[in-house]
Amino acid sequence: MPEIFIDGHRYEFEGDHKVLQFIQDLGKEVPFFCYHPSMTAPANCRQCMVKAGQYMKDRETGEYEVDENGERVIRWFPKLQTSCNLMAADGMVILTQETDELVQRAQKDNLELILINHPLDCPICDQAGECPLQIQTYKYGPEGSRFEVKKVHKPKRIQLGPRVVLDAERCINCTRCTRFTQEISKTDQLTITSRGDKNYPTTAPGREFDDPYSLNTVDICPVGALTSADFRFKARVWEMNQTPSIDITNGKGTNIDLWTRDNLILRVTPRFNAEVNDHWMPDAGREAYKIFNENRISRPQQKLDGEQILSSWNNAIATLSEEIAATDNSKIVVIASPHASVEENYALSKYTNLLGLNQPVFTPHIEEGTGDDFLLSDDVAPNANGCRLLGFTELDKASIKKEIKKAELVVILHDNLIDREVIAADDLKEKFVVVFATNNSDTSKAADLVIPITTAAEHAASYVNVDGRIQRTYRAKETKYTERRLDLEMSEGRLDRYGTNFDNWVTEDNKIDCLPVWKFINRISEHSGLECNFNDGREIMDEIASTLDSFTGVSYAAMDEQAGIQLSIKKETSTSK
Amino acid sequence: MSTVDWKNYTPVLLPDIKDLHKIDVYIKNGGYKALKSVLTDKKSWDGPKAVIEEVKSANIRGRGGAGFNAGLKWSFMPPADGGPRYLACNGDESEPGTFKDRKIFEYNPHVFIEGALIAAYAMEITTIYVYIRGEYKTYIDMVENAIADAYNKGYIGKNIFGSDFSVDFYVHSGAGAYICGEETSMLESLEGKRGYPRVKPPFPAQKGLWGRPTTINNVETLSHVTGVINNGAEWFSGIGAKTHPGPVLYGISGHVNNPGVYELPSGIPVLDLIEIAGGMRNGKKLKAVIPGGSSTPILRADQLDGITMDSDSLRTVGSMLGTAGMVVMDEDTDIVDVLWRISHFYHHESCGQCTPCREGTGWLEKILLKIKNGDGEVRDLDLLLDVTTQMEGRTICALADAAAWPVRFTINRFRDEFEARCKKKSHAVA
Repeated sequence: MPEIFIDGHRYEFEGDHKVLQFIQDLGKEVPFFCYHPSMTAPANCRQCMVKAGQYMKDRETGEYEVDENGERVIRWFPKLQTSCNLMAADGMVILTQETDELVQRAQKDNLELILINHPLDCPICDQAGECPLQIQTYKYGPEGSRFEVKKVHKPKRIQLGPRVVLDAERCINCTRCTRFTQEISKTDQLTITSRGDKNYPTTAPGREFDDPYSLNTVDICPVGALTSADFRFKARVWEMNQTPSIDITNGKGTNIDLWTRDNLILRVTPRFNAEVNDHWMPDAGREAYKIFNENRISRPQQKLDGEQILSSWNNAIATLSEEIAATDNSKIVVIASPHASVEENYALSKYTNLLGLNQPVFTPHIEEGTGDDFLLSDDVAPNANGCRLLGFTELDKASIKKEIKKAELVVILHDNLIDREVIAADDLKEKFVVVFATNNSDTSKAADLVIPITTAAEHAASYVNVDGRIQRTYRAKETKYTERRLDLEMSEGRLDRYGTNFDNWVTEDNKIDCLPVWKFINRISEHSGLECNFNDGREIMDEIASTLDSFTGVSYAAMDEQAGIQLSIKKETSTSK
Repeated sequence: MSTVDWKNYTPVLLPDIKDLHKIDVYIKNGGYKALKSVLTDKKSWDGPKAVIEEVKSANIRGRGGAGFNAGLKWSFMPPADGGPRYLACNGDESEPGTFKDRKIFEYNPHVFIEGALIAAYAMEITTIYVYIRGEYKTYIDMVENAIADAYNKGYIGKNIFGSDFSVDFYVHSGAGAYICGEETSMLESLEGKRGYPRVKPPFPAQKGLWGRPTTINNVETLSHVTGVINNGAEWFSGIGAKTHPGPVLYGISGHVNNPGVYELPSGIPVLDLIEIAGGMRNGKKLKAVIPGGSSTPILRADQLDGITMDSDSLRTVGSMLGTAGMVVMDEDTDIVDVLWRISHFYHHESCGQCTPCREGTGWLEKILLKIKNGDGEVRDLDLLLDVTTQMEGRTICALADAAAWPVRFTINRFRDEFEARCKKKSHAVA
């Protein structure tokens, strides 16, 4: 097998490898700015310099040549090489900054040069704290600058498009953003303008940077040159905690991170998953942070004299039990939801089974024209395939309407049927309507009983995407009934870890009075003498996996390890009507 | 001492013939004979390989500055596979002090066109581009007219001289960027992209224009091909310096009485060349010479004794032939000002792709401006030298080197003048 020697250690490799990526994959480090594993390597930042050479081999025998001292003969490349575009070769010798002073010197020199025209306004820069330039300067940079003349001034605070703001002075011209629009989103909206130290990325004159994937350029910008118009100046990175999750605004199931401070989700960034979304996510999904914070339903609500008023959990449970007991089973319809997780749907269906009701029905949420051939699908619900795999009856809009017409008691799980025009508010008149909902909507307003439930940011639960991949979320945000410090799976930011609940920046209002669907099912089944006892999503998934063939082998541990599990789905169901 | 017999040399690229740019005059004076011969005279020219061998043995060293054997470069082209192959002729000459190709465009465009066609035949090339800097508007028109004339005569196009060799010839105008004279960024520019030099490998012979095999030659280099075919490799390699043979277009500018382009054999003593150009203006004393365009290291007058204009001789005193665009400076020249002006040029022309060049060129210029204005300190000189080492050899193309060398060598060779311009500061000794 071919071998490569890095800093005196021997490694074997197969296939084509860029030296920089190879070193990174070993868990070692070479500093860089312009390289990105999913894009071409232009080798323009010149930061990832290494000393490279080749052990000489005897042409005939194929053995390494040795000199009179028995040492292998190395032929060094005449200049330092950028490791990002250097391909690993058999017998290659690489010295990084860890073992070679010249490389150390070159990297330090390069950082000094990068910084001479950089504004060094870290205290007011959004990137500070997650800035490769800042981090690498601390690690590899010079102690000070010898630059005593005037810096170049370039345009600042330029609104490139609706979502992205440019500060050209901070730009280090790595061209990641322009390459993103050329190679990944393929809109070619950004280019570098001007020349030399005056150049910076921008759009063509009069054009907007309205690429539906524009915010990815903010993520990959190695400095604070491109910032998100929405997130700008909202929070310092080190005050937030970062929780892995799944984008619930689209069926694609893009892997994301939720960034929380004081139990508010402040931004959404993509999380790498080679099988689903690589390093990217659509701008549309980033808006979703608002649904976790704003317009939430807190505490159950009940209709009294035609008006919804705040109720209590005990009241809600009693009311729903009474209504179920008073209604003929054939007059009850339970509508499951492609917007709710597998666990929520399963818990609800288990309860309806125990009651002897029909299997829940659901209707997928398709919005024609939403999809592209990249990271958006026409199916805008995160879990339609989950409902299918649970064996729920899939109905089209008209059939759902018909079902509701027949019923006297309608239970709707987390699906804004009125808002998305499956039914009209009038269809629910003269019926008792129970809605499990996270946010206020026309559907929740039409309900006689509203049960506030947790969002994807408040429970750990799984979703099956349009391609049949099951992936799960983590708890990012506390509710009235959860406590970050007692939950090993919840991430803690600096403020969470070192602060207390009595700090003046802790806002109790940001915790919503809501329950996971399964907790509510526990309590209502206990009330009516049925046995449902779900502790958390993890246990529910274990139960599903042991009872349903379509979920065999699925567990939270397996999903965590493999970044989601591919389930077998029928092809025609993946692209729904 | 050089034994080059330049007094009896007859020019071949720029001969003293009226209206040579007109195709009929050119043909009357033996024009397109070489092309006809390689295409039709199967006895003398046994296919394209024979042409490459002839050019290789003539040892035409690239006149664009790098001085690489043109025939050898041609032989790097992979075997033809039926797809397009390109010849990109570099007429971007933007290096300060260089203005030789424009004389060819103006007075004898057909010698270049014929040479390019022969090169295309030798490398089985299907399309020729000539990239001419945008500032040469007049000469772009002239070359376009000459190409149109050659098309009309059937020297360009389908089945030239009844052979099965067909080729197209296009003029591409640059937009005034020095960097587009760098061979790979010229390819980017030809493709309609931003003129950023490419990372090598892959080399243009493997993946050039639109990913296809491409050879890039300087316009003067290709013009010499015509003479080599007409007169033979031995004729060419017998002219001038042994290791760097053939006629050279010397572009002499600066403080001489008759600045201009002179076609003479290579290897002429630098001091003789100044005399050929009419001697020093106003009888002043020579101070310094930049031998081959602004990026080649400057030489003091006292370094020039016995030095001839070829790469080997110039290397002994630490300089290069470059493009043979020689800048002569007399005793009144302000060297600090000269260096600042050169640095200003490279700062302005850096494409901005690589960090060391983008940031370094600006830093150099700003420090030099400070010194020029009398605000510099002696330590700034050492900082300048430090910055040049931070730039050299650490970029994709050679522009960083071209910007760093003048600074380094000018300071090293005229350090007293720079120190004299710096502030006399008394530092407290701890």
